[in-house]
Amino acid sequence: MCSPDQLRSPGTTSECETNAVAHVLGRCSCRRTLLKSALAFTLAPLIGRAPALASTTLALSEIAPGIFVHQGRYELQSPENRGDMSNASVIIGNDAVAVIDTLGSAQIGRELRAAIKAITDKPIRYVINTHMHPDHLFGNVAFKDDNPAFVGHHKLRRGLEARSQSYMASSKDMLGDDAFAGSEIIYPTMSVDDTLTLDLGGRSLVCEAQKTAHTDNDLIITDSKTDTAFFGDLLFSGHIPTLDGSLRGWLALIDQLEGRKVARVVPGHGPHAMQLPGAILPEKQYWSVVAADVRKFIKDGKDLMEATKTAGQSERPNWALFDQYHVRNVTAAFAELEWE
Amino acid sequence: MKTQWHALTKFAAAVVMAASFGAHMCSTARADDDIWLQLQKDVFGTRLIQEDDGTVAIDAPVRAEDAAVVPITIRVSPTVKGPLKAMWLIIDKNPAPVALAITFGPAAGQDGGWRQFATRVRMDSYSNVHAVVETADGALHMKKVFVKASGGCSAPAPKDSDRADDDLGKTLVKNFEPADHNAAFREAQIMIKHPNNNGMQMDPLTRNYVPARFIREVKVMRGADLVFTAMTSFSISTNPNFRFTYDNAKDSTLDVTSVDTDETTFVGRSKQVAAIQ
Repeated sequence: MCSPDQLRSPGTTSECETNAVAHVLGRCSCRRTLLKSALAFTLAPLIGRAPALASTTLALSEIAPGIFVHQGRYELQSPENRGDMSNASVIIGNDAVAVIDTLGSAQIGRELRAAIKAITDKPIRYVINTHMHPDHLFGNVAFKDDNPAFVGHHKLRRGLEARSQSYMASSKDMLGDDAFAGSEIIYPTMSVDDTLTLDLGGRSLVCEAQKTAHTDNDLIITDSKTDTAFFGDLLFSGHIPTLDGSLRGWLALIDQLEGRKVARVVPGHGPHAMQLPGAILPEKQYWSVVAADVRKFIKDGKDLMEATKTAGQSERPNWALFDQYHVRNVTAAFAELEWE
Repeated sequence: MKTQWHALTKFAAAVVMAASFGAHMCSTARADDDIWLQLQKDVFGTRLIQEDDGTVAIDAPVRAEDAAVVPITIRVSPTVKGPLKAMWLIIDKNPAPVALAITFGPAAGQDGGWRQFATRVRMDSYSNVHAVVETADGALHMKKVFVKASGGCSAPAPKDSDRADDDLGKTLVKNFEPADHNAAFREAQIMIKHPNNNGMQMDPLTRNYVPARFIREVKVMRGADLVFTAMTSFSISTNPNFRFTYDNAKDSTLDVTSVDTDETTFVGRSKQVAAIQ
């Protein structure tokens, strides 16, 4: 079974949709363990494009023992999705719980917290942010009363402080006053310089600070018990990747990441979990095509405006939200690569 | 020339003012589209300006995906004869609206094809963008486009903060060999490594605004001849980038000197690069 939220997400797998429909018809049999809090699973949000209700349960899917992932929609922030457009993960140890990314508003962050509380009463000891973007971090505030350590890359605080005003303003603008209400930026209280190991009891999480790639504050987290790696926005699948760091850095990092020996990997935007190296190949192809096209424009003496019109357009069929992000990606790639 | 000097002086004053009050002004909504009338008066006084007479064209995205890097190209029609005197790029609703005020010299060339000047700008909100060109006869010609982009002024500049000040002022000048050696114009591109801080970005450590520090003047010479002098404001994007046509002569080596608001001078000399495909 899936929550109504997942049904409306274009990224939802067909398996999930089938299960959700089966559930609605009262004969559910799921291969995955999907959890929702005890409250109100209504059919109303299934009909049409009704806005998500506060009572709607946020879906968490158990992808490995003690690891639950919520899949966000492939959308821009909107009053309807309330910032539910990235993946958030929960890791439950013997003693404590860690949350990796908190979605994009205080409101949806509270729903994430409620969904976690419905499956475990262990304390939430760590809230980890994979990077600075609002869709992964504006839900942090919902966990404030749990007094967790907020964990991030050593450059996360600086990145957030430099952008705090524009992040607050643009999120308010995109989400609208209602969905934005209560949102604030919660800064990291525990910094990852290189690697940092967090103990949850019976399992530990290894956080690794990366060099500039998607942003200049990307963190990769790996669960020791299940060998599950959380790549944050270093891995996009289905949803077009977005560049706010260094294209050259990201491509170099992808070369390392594709060879990682892990049981599964969780993307920042995409399915609940995936397998390497296949998971990262479409993203590698996208950035390789963008880099090659842009370099050719630069070599041929063409300017930025020409590049934005045609570079990388062959990738259009492969990605959701292509029109929303691709030109910005080409602009960033051009401004970086022209200095080579 | 007197009027032009007047305009440039006013422009300089506007830059200083905006630099002082940048943060405040950026947040002040100036919804009034009639803002242009005041700008026109400030920059051009009572001079007559001919709009949409086919002299000037602007290439700009209707919707800019990245408001901190909006590519703008001003083109002057081949029908225009003689040298150009001056050119302005004005972004009506930006805190420092005059992004560029250019005075051309003899090496900018005469007629014989499209002349163009391209740069990348920040845009604070949806705004009209005006390009004004002064032709040899002293007449002013104008074209405007509306560009949808916002938030570019306060967007923090560097994507990789640690490297923002690496090579400050490093100046690359590309000199493109024209496909047709007899063409009237050839193209060159200037890239200056400079954060072009506009005073609206918060310093993460102090929580104060980063003081404005930006390239305020760019001078391009071919030998002893001036190509152009441009007065620039912080409406120009981080790592200022200019691409322009100029007179196609045998020795087309360019020397570029730029000065920022901290009175630091940066220089660069052109390198020949392959023909434009």
